[in-house]
Amino acid sequence: MAAALAASLPTPSAAPAPAAPTYEAIPSSMSTLIDVEAEIPLQCVQLDGLVVSKILKHACDSNSSSPIGLLLGLDLDGVLEVSNSFALPYRAGDDDDKSAKSVARYQASMLRSLKEVQGDDSIVGFYQASTLGAFFNQNLIDLQAIHQDKLRHGGVVVVHDISQTARGNASFRAFRLTTAFLDAYKKSSFSTSRFVPFLSDERDVTEEAIYSLASHQLTFSSILEELPLKIHTNPLLSAFLGEFSNVSPNTAPGSSASAIPPSFSVLDLNSGGLTQNLEYVVDALDNYRNEEGNLAYLSRQIARERAKADNYVMKRKEESAARVAQGLAPLPEEDVTRLFKIPSEPSRLESMLLLGQVDAYAKSLAETTSTGLVKMYAATAGSSV
Amino acid sequence: MPLGPPSSAIHIQPAVAPQLQNVLRTPTHITVHPVALFSILDHYLRRKDDQDRVIGTLLGTRMDTHSGARCRKTNVKVIDFHIGGVDTQHRRGTDSRTDASSTGTHVEVRTSFAVLHNETSEQVAVDMEYHRAMYELHRKVNSKEIIVGWYSTGSNLNTYSALIQNFYSQETAPHQAVHVSLDTGVEPGQPAGVKGYVSSPVGVFPKPENCVFVPVPVELRFRDSERSGVDLLTTTALSSSPSTSSSPSLSSSSTSPLSTLTVFESSIQNIVSMIDRVLTYVQAVLDGEAKGDPAIGRLLMDTLGASTDDLEGGGDTAKLEKGGFNARLQDTLMVSYLANLVRAQAEVSSRLALVSAA
Repeated sequence: MAAALAASLPTPSAAPAPAAPTYEAIPSSMSTLIDVEAEIPLQCVQLDGLVVSKILKHACDSNSSSPIGLLLGLDLDGVLEVSNSFALPYRAGDDDDKSAKSVARYQASMLRSLKEVQGDDSIVGFYQASTLGAFFNQNLIDLQAIHQDKLRHGGVVVVHDISQTARGNASFRAFRLTTAFLDAYKKSSFSTSRFVPFLSDERDVTEEAIYSLASHQLTFSSILEELPLKIHTNPLLSAFLGEFSNVSPNTAPGSSASAIPPSFSVLDLNSGGLTQNLEYVVDALDNYRNEEGNLAYLSRQIARERAKADNYVMKRKEESAARVAQGLAPLPEEDVTRLFKIPSEPSRLESMLLLGQVDAYAKSLAETTSTGLVKMYAATAGSSV
Repeated sequence: MPLGPPSSAIHIQPAVAPQLQNVLRTPTHITVHPVALFSILDHYLRRKDDQDRVIGTLLGTRMDTHSGARCRKTNVKVIDFHIGGVDTQHRRGTDSRTDASSTGTHVEVRTSFAVLHNETSEQVAVDMEYHRAMYELHRKVNSKEIIVGWYSTGSNLNTYSALIQNFYSQETAPHQAVHVSLDTGVEPGQPAGVKGYVSSPVGVFPKPENCVFVPVPVELRFRDSERSGVDLLTTTALSSSPSTSSSPSLSSSSTSPLSTLTVFESSIQNIVSMIDRVLTYVQAVLDGEAKGDPAIGRLLMDTLGASTDDLEGGGDTAKLEKGGFNARLQDTLMVSYLANLVRAQAEVSSRLALVSAA
């Protein structure tokens, strides 16, 4: 990358001018970076300082639990540069169709407006703020699945953890759906069973079973893959921030001399929010147990129906065998599926996501406690306890 | 928290008579959220080649910080005084401007967006349609934020500034529009900084192209919870400065978000270096090399006194020392064990779902 840029610098005029009607030859050093078909795979996501602060502000201002916004930017040589973002309006009501339309309209006009002032206007993904690391939810999966289908490079989702940021460590992570999950999602088969619909014949079963949960080896940890994320500030912003955090010499001592005074919130011994975190774990576990109960009920029902159907088929076979033995013509073949309504295998996606939430809460709990331990020992390091 | 180089301007607190509490007053104080500043910088970077400066709309809230009856009389003020691009220093007597058509003395700028404009030597044009459309869009996300004023880059206040100010004053009526000018520090001789102004008409016959830009103090303000994000950006920005010969692409800097313990470590190192600095200073004063500053001495006394109070009273450290350490250790370990247990169970459960299928 650096070599490529350096090579292109002495002859800036040779760089392709997008507006020019005649296309100049792309310099050979740049030609490897020209990536019309999005063939260079994404290696990392780079967040601009503006985006970081916008996400932070939106997360603090919003009254919804998981505010969502869109990320705009470009990809260059495997680095997805996110240079701008805007918040999406909070969808309060359940009148989905109407609000979805208004969101789409909002999005379109926002993009148009940004383009007018030379802003980036290509969507590269979206961000979502969450508390205590539990970002798994149906919404996120759905949106990302749509994006992965439509956007160049499939788009990314940047997850911002509000609670960890409040504790003094701004947390941003970038994810995308794994191919295995996306495959299963498209087929919308999240059942564990091999026998997806009830079929008397065995030949279709093998084909259907390929797309089931088990064959994709899907657990909550393999839904999303994490991309490395970097924070980036452009030179102008760096200079500006540098100016702010500089201590100017001629201010009175005592008054905080720089615009951004140092903060010590990370040194707070009380790793707060433990109780709340524990409550979240318990709640998530409860939700998971409910969902499991539903699943168990459904699978019992399926088993019952299937047993009935099997009985019927068996009886029929016996009957026709008896008829053959008596020298009569066997009973005609009947479509059993029409006689017995066997409910389709329930989707395991919800329970998988809930399990993912449980895991995320527990993980953030474990992290908080381990940091707490370090702080405790650090605080008593000098004294003899 | 001053934003930018110190200025000689004295900021006016309009004298308000007690009986006139409800009368609208000029903004006396502006706070700016980092997002607004960063957007302005981004806009400046993306300007067209022929654009000298960029302008845009500031959104935010107004509030009244001076609640209750408050009367302050100032007799003579020196203010920075700009008419049509000419900077003069002007001495004025007090006029208790209680009749000024404005409200909320404290303006909080929360965000900003770019607005198209075109400046030539003959005329200035602002795309009002664009401005209205963008405002409507922003309203959909955050309805609390209203137009409070406008920004421009560079510190050049001229006739056009007055005209734009006039336009924005109509937008924010009956409140008064604030103007934030941001020096990007790119031009030589202009240090980076942010200045805030309100306007007031000047001249015998008020004309839109004539106005006084009265400086108003500007502060950077963000929530405590946003603090760590700003820290992250600052460390990113500062880490780039020295010896970036190895770093790629034109000294633009990038870091990854850190783990909690790394942040903790750097914070402790920060404190250690601060203590070292104080120690060297105190040592220098004791040796007679430097003259002691009584203000610093008092601050040191306060700080040390506070920590000993903590030790005697019920501070965190004190509690830990009083044998609470073991109890707390047990609690923390217990929670940690529980968390890991839950994680293990979750993992097992998800695997079992797969096994039962096979």
